[in-house]
Amino acid sequence: MALGLFFFLGVLTWVVTRQTSSVVAATNLRELNLERSTLEAQKTELLRRIRKARSRVTLIPRAESLGLRLAADSEIVILQIPSEGNER
Amino acid sequence: MSMARPALRLRAVQIAFALAIGTLIVRAAQVQLVRGARYQAAAREQRTEEVELPASRGAIYDRNGVPLALTQEIFHIGFAPLELRDGGRDVPVLARSLGLSGREMARALGKDYVYLHGPFTLLQVAGLREMRGVHLTSEFTRFHPDRAFARAVLGMPAAPGRPASGIERVLDTLLSGKPGRAVVLRDQFGRRYESPSRLDLFPVPGHDAYLTLDSELQDIVERALSDAVARFEAIGGDVVVLDPKTGELLALASRRADGTTPPSVFTSAFEPGSTAKLFAAAALLLHDRVELTDSVWGEEGELVLGGRTITDEHPEGWMTLRDVLRRSSNVGMAKFVRRLDPEQQYMMLRDFGFGTPSGVEYPSESGGLLRPPAQWSGASAPSLAMGYEIAVTVLQLAQAYAAIANDGLMLEPTLVSRIVAPDGREVYRHAPEPVRRVVSAEVARELRAMLRDVVYDGGTGVSAALASYEVAGKTGTARRFGPDGYLPGASTASFASLFPADDPQLVMVVKLDDPAGSYAQLSAAPLTRSVLEQVLAAQTSALDRSRLEGTPSAPGVPPAIDAGVVPYVVSWPLEPRRADSALQTVPAVVGLAVRAAVRRLHESGLQVLVDGWGTITHADPRTGSTVAAGTLVRLTATEDAKPR
Repeated sequence: MALGLFFFLGVLTWVVTRQTSSVVAATNLRELNLERSTLEAQKTELLRRIRKARSRVTLIPRAESLGLRLAADSEIVILQIPSEGNER
Repeated sequence: MSMARPALRLRAVQIAFALAIGTLIVRAAQVQLVRGARYQAAAREQRTEEVELPASRGAIYDRNGVPLALTQEIFHIGFAPLELRDGGRDVPVLARSLGLSGREMARALGKDYVYLHGPFTLLQVAGLREMRGVHLTSEFTRFHPDRAFARAVLGMPAAPGRPASGIERVLDTLLSGKPGRAVVLRDQFGRRYESPSRLDLFPVPGHDAYLTLDSELQDIVERALSDAVARFEAIGGDVVVLDPKTGELLALASRRADGTTPPSVFTSAFEPGSTAKLFAAAALLLHDRVELTDSVWGEEGELVLGGRTITDEHPEGWMTLRDVLRRSSNVGMAKFVRRLDPEQQYMMLRDFGFGTPSGVEYPSESGGLLRPPAQWSGASAPSLAMGYEIAVTVLQLAQAYAAIANDGLMLEPTLVSRIVAPDGREVYRHAPEPVRRVVSAEVARELRAMLRDVVYDGGTGVSAALASYEVAGKTGTARRFGPDGYLPGASTASFASLFPADDPQLVMVVKLDDPAGSYAQLSAAPLTRSVLEQVLAAQTSALDRSRLEGTPSAPGVPPAIDAGVVPYVVSWPLEPRRADSALQTVPAVVGLAVRAAVRRLHESGLQVLVDGWGTITHADPRTGSTVAAGTLVRLTATEDAKPR
């Protein structure tokens, strides 16, 4: 009788523990998914801001306000990167 | 009797217990065995929910991996003001997150339920997810980091009431992926808990597409076109840039004066005017109907042919075929083209891809218009040679010029560079796809030389000339056709160019609809130059600068802005002349421009720090000093000083 009771309590404890750990794991999973989604949203927002900051629509007016202008082709110096066969 | 009574009572209690237990057993049996399945289903329905797991739509990138279209989760929000747990705390959070003013919030609080369609981003609603009384509905939507960027080309995925468009439509089956299915657990508050063991079907994300577009070049082209449309008061314009060696479209821009950006590069056909003269010249050379020394008389700029008067803007005398292209003479071309059979002329235009869609991955591409010789009138042959009675798209024109740039081999244009599966496996990579050989390499070379003369030998394309690297191209100014015939004073200005002229890496076609000043040499050609200057100055990988080495600089072309700087190409890394020596002598740099001085010091194996800009006035250590290799030389420069 006592053995049976212990067995019953043991099984009960095992079931409760398993259920509890499952709920904890599910909660963690949900929070991680939320965190991932939030980070993805942040990444998307940052990408948008980077694109905007790098676009000529933003850069050219700022450059012009600083007294800069676009270089004419005659003012551009192209530094040639040596090819593999030409490397020193 | 007194003994019997307790026994009786005990028996009664036993019977009562037995009945109660029996009832419980019967009820339990009823619940478990008879109604078990029903209760089980009801419980499952209460605790679990079957949901469709949306597949993430594949992203679209440019050729360098810059994201152009991504998938983003967005939210619609409903909230019941009376269900809020702590109004004093929750209401300000709601107002701040949703961007509602105090007045709007006060109005919302007076209602039982408020629905805000938004859409709101996850960042906006992050603080509201656990708030009681707030209900979020999410959906996945397309997000463009730069909303205006190549919008017509990219298009949009299908949505209720809106069909898919652009590249999103062409690649829809690859981008969309397959949705999954799962059972999620719910707690008493209705919150969902995902359970990995209850995934019936995993969602399969879509493939990612890498386009051939170069975002930097696209940015340059869009901005330049926008400026040109405004500056020349044109009603619209289009620009296409492609790589003639691969057929890859590097930039595409279309813009109307009202700011809209229809995909007219693909869908709108126009009479190309003199840019089509090149194809008549190609037919003449291919069929040996002309020697390069042959001349025709320019009729002093006026020729009556088949009852139609053909005129030149500038009256000409004797002209070779090269002169005809250089001066864009209608009379000369009309005379030369008489040497061709209509079939030869027609087939040449067909071979260059006119009258049929190019095959680019874009829905609803126009094939333009090219009538067969059986439908020609007496004036059709010279008209076609001058770019009339034919309608082409800007893309077709670029593809045809690209064939000339690619030694006569025409390639199919493409917008898709690579398709990558979610596991990173590359499932498609574009390889140049030849359509046909249009002309021989020798004829193509001859035509390129003629196009170069258009820009550098006093031709109509002189305003497209760069001082550093040569451009080849052809102008085209065609009258615009309206519902009642040709519109007086209205024209389409275009310029088709190859850059650099000798070994073209870029083919660009610029078209402006009805620009003020009308002529292409005053509008489309300068726009071409502006784009090329920006391309040279930018970091875009669309131009292989190492292949520019050895390309001859254009002779006698004044720089656009005279800054007194001599263009040169230097090898990199710079070869120190005496870097192996432990001691160096500081070379004479005072009086030199900063750039030249820095170069000279680097060549001597010295490091440089410059203060100011202009001409060097002082060097520390001084010129002639003996210093150790690698010593830092401080230069002072001023703009006022006169260069040596």
